[in-house]
Amino acid sequence: MIATVIDADRQPRPEGARDEPDRAFADVAREQLDGLYGYCVRLTNDRTDAEDLVQDTLLRAMRAYRGLRDERKVKSWLFTIATNGWRDLCRTEGRTLATISLDDTDGEDDFSLFATLAIEDPFPYSDELHLDFLRLFHDEDVQDVFAQINPVFRAPLILTTIHGFSCKEAASILDVPLGTLLSRLHRGRRQLERGMWDYAVKNSLVEVGDEP
Amino acid sequence: MIGCPEAVRRMWAYLDHSLERGPVEEFETHLEACQRCCGELEFSRHLKKMAAATGSEALPDPLRRQIDLLLEGGRLPTRERDNP
Repeated sequence: MIATVIDADRQPRPEGARDEPDRAFADVAREQLDGLYGYCVRLTNDRTDAEDLVQDTLLRAMRAYRGLRDERKVKSWLFTIATNGWRDLCRTEGRTLATISLDDTDGEDDFSLFATLAIEDPFPYSDELHLDFLRLFHDEDVQDVFAQINPVFRAPLILTTIHGFSCKEAASILDVPLGTLLSRLHRGRRQLERGMWDYAVKNSLVEVGDEP
Repeated sequence: MIGCPEAVRRMWAYLDHSLERGPVEEFETHLEACQRCCGELEFSRHLKKMAAATGSEALPDPLRRQIDLLLEGGRLPTRERDNP
């Protein structure tokens, strides 16, 4: 459960020209609700936590809204607040996102789904081997794989791939340097690829000779 | 000229238009000479598109009602699920 303790001064203040937004917060916020909720669901992997996080984000945003000087940045502003709230949630629950070991998953950088499919060749008669593999996956399958990705690497993937932020914007939202973001995005992608392959084998979507 | 491992590292950032001009030129020069990476780039494009399509979530109606109250009243209403 997320504590709804509000500290408006902690919220980011995007750069812009005007002193106050023209539109009411409720109008601006409603346009972002579905995207914000989707982000929170993928980020927390828990719908109850996501619901709390959305409401907590809106409360924090509402109190800081007059400081938002550029309405065009409202989406990234809300996603930044949600990310900060998520960090608070993790801290409250004793999760250690910031101190996660980056060394124990280095081997995953070498995994290539593209190459694995070419080597394992699960569809010997296919002219579209790689696309046929992707066609095995329903939305729920991909969501299951996403949920297994390390959150440090999942967040950049969600922001850029699902919500359309540029890497620079995602780096700003997550408060990391661009180089760090690019590295994490790459590793998130590798975990996604490995996860899809493992999921396909585990659920017998493909048959591989050496697998049990 | 960059090799395949570096080209693969840059692939998703390239698809996101997040690479600087220099790295883009190096990447595209590599593609001109590497059929394998052209194939992986195309695969990555499909994979990204598929992943993007799975991200949408409709706000549940009970939560939408709570948020409406929040936006109208400026305070967090009692949560429905907390009630017996």
